Amino acid sequence: MNYLGHVFNHLRKDLRIEWRSRDSINGMLFFALLVVVVFGLAFDPTGFPTTTRQVSGAILWVALLFASITALNQSWTRELRNHVLEAQRMAPSPASALFLSKAIANMLFVLVVEAVIAPIFIVFFNLHPLGNVWLLALILPLGTWALVVNGTFFAALGLRARNRELLLPLLLIPVSLPALLAMVQATTGVINGDLDPIQINTWIKQLAGYDIIFTTVCILLFETILNAE
Amino acid sequence: MTWHTFFNLSTMEHRHLLAAYIVVWACQGGYFGWIAWKWHRITNSGPQK
Amino acid sequence: MSRPSTLRTLAWPWLIGTLAVLVFAFRQAIFVVPADAAQGDVGRIFYYHVPSAMLSLVFPYINFLAGVAYLFWRRSDPLKALAADALAVAAAEVTIVYVTICLVTGMIWGRASWGIWWAWDPRLTAELLLWLLYAAYLAVRRFSASGQTPTIAAVLSVFAAIDVPINYMSIRWWRTQHPAPVFGGGPDAGMDPSMMPAFVWNIIGWTLWGAFILFFRYALEQRRQFVEEENALKAIEASLEIPQ
Repeated sequence: MNYLGHVFNHLRKDLRIEWRSRDSINGMLFFALLVVVVFGLAFDPTGFPTTTRQVSGAILWVALLFASITALNQSWTRELRNHVLEAQRMAPSPASALFLSKAIANMLFVLVVEAVIAPIFIVFFNLHPLGNVWLLALILPLGTWALVVNGTFFAALGLRARNRELLLPLLLIPVSLPALLAMVQATTGVINGDLDPIQINTWIKQLAGYDIIFTTVCILLFETILNAE
Repeated sequence: MTWHTFFNLSTMEHRHLLAAYIVVWACQGGYFGWIAWKWHRITNSGPQK
Repeated sequence: MSRPSTLRTLAWPWLIGTLAVLVFAFRQAIFVVPADAAQGDVGRIFYYHVPSAMLSLVFPYINFLAGVAYLFWRRSDPLKALAADALAVAAAEVTIVYVTICLVTGMIWGRASWGIWWAWDPRLTAELLLWLLYAAYLAVRRFSASGQTPTIAAVLSVFAAIDVPINYMSIRWWRTQHPAPVFGGGPDAGMDPSMMPAFVWNIIGWTLWGAFILFFRYALEQRRQFVEEENALKAIEASLEIPQ
């Protein structure tokens, strides 16, 4: 079976497991909703529309970042039950196929959460994005992939560590800082409408470059950490 | 500068200068002390450590 | 196990020489060199802050090279791999010490000369990121299961090595679009020749100190690895003696 076939099989397995229990997506949804509500309570969105527009990009990404962290750890722990991980390591499929499929599965879950949260976000914060909204359809997936690819890798890295839940945010946030900067600036630029299109394009290109570099590094190094003993 | 002015704590600039130097010595000396302590423990307790 | 005898014979002379250089450098920085025209005496923090900042960018590369060496020798030469891992952890800890010093003295200096503790310009943010990455590196080493620690840590060094330049470039691009105050215009931005002795002696002194403490920590780690292997060997031998 070729590489993509392996990826697709792993992906189907993950999607099926998730569809049957839906715990990951539900957890993420409620967490993101909670973050949005708490920030909405912190200041008055209707009274200060300009301030709201300036911080809304950051709030959206904070909500998504923490929501995806809660789900990423869980995505690997289901491999620990019933010694599934040992079976995966012994299977003839390349380890990076397992990684890629997990990353794609997590990406799909977070995209579903984004699709649900974004309208709620717009409603709670009374946002009228002043820039080109279709750019958000490019920025959101690129940014999400940056978080998910590194997050899946680091979640696997900490799999047999104590304090696994602490390790993931500790690793993910410093490593994703360049991507976080790009996605927050691009999103805020689109919502505020005051950034030059060239600048937004450069942020998007930086995000795409980050995605390519770190996807490559993660795929190349995954086998090393899966067989770390 | 003299020793007298170095330890003069009257202006913020002097306090910050002294604080910066003390921080450097404390960090480096503290780390050195930690390594030395661990070295002492590991050489004196042998394989049980 | 043969302990590196060159390191042992060098250690005490190196330490004494380093302390002598550091004392001389301190004397130069505080008593000999004239105060800065613009900043006054507070500018003397420069002689401790800038060497630490420059060295804090060197030790991460030692960690990265040691991590790569570990991954390279992992299967083929376990002894060398173990030594590489010891060097990696030593370099990571020394990095954290130097980065902490750089950040804290920078903040103290910034507050005294410019009135603010912090700014999000490329250099400061890259330095903070370096601190976060290596703090995470040390945390991972502490928390991971003991057989895997060196491999996972080595992989993390690779990530850190890639991430720091990317972060610096992206924030620098951002800050050229939105100019913000740039702090500390480089190690030789308008430094009077009369101040060079203090600067040069401090760089030499802190580099010598950094090398000393790196190899001291490396030797400690090698001892710890040796003791761990001895314990493991004892446990195996004890289990073999248990009647089946």
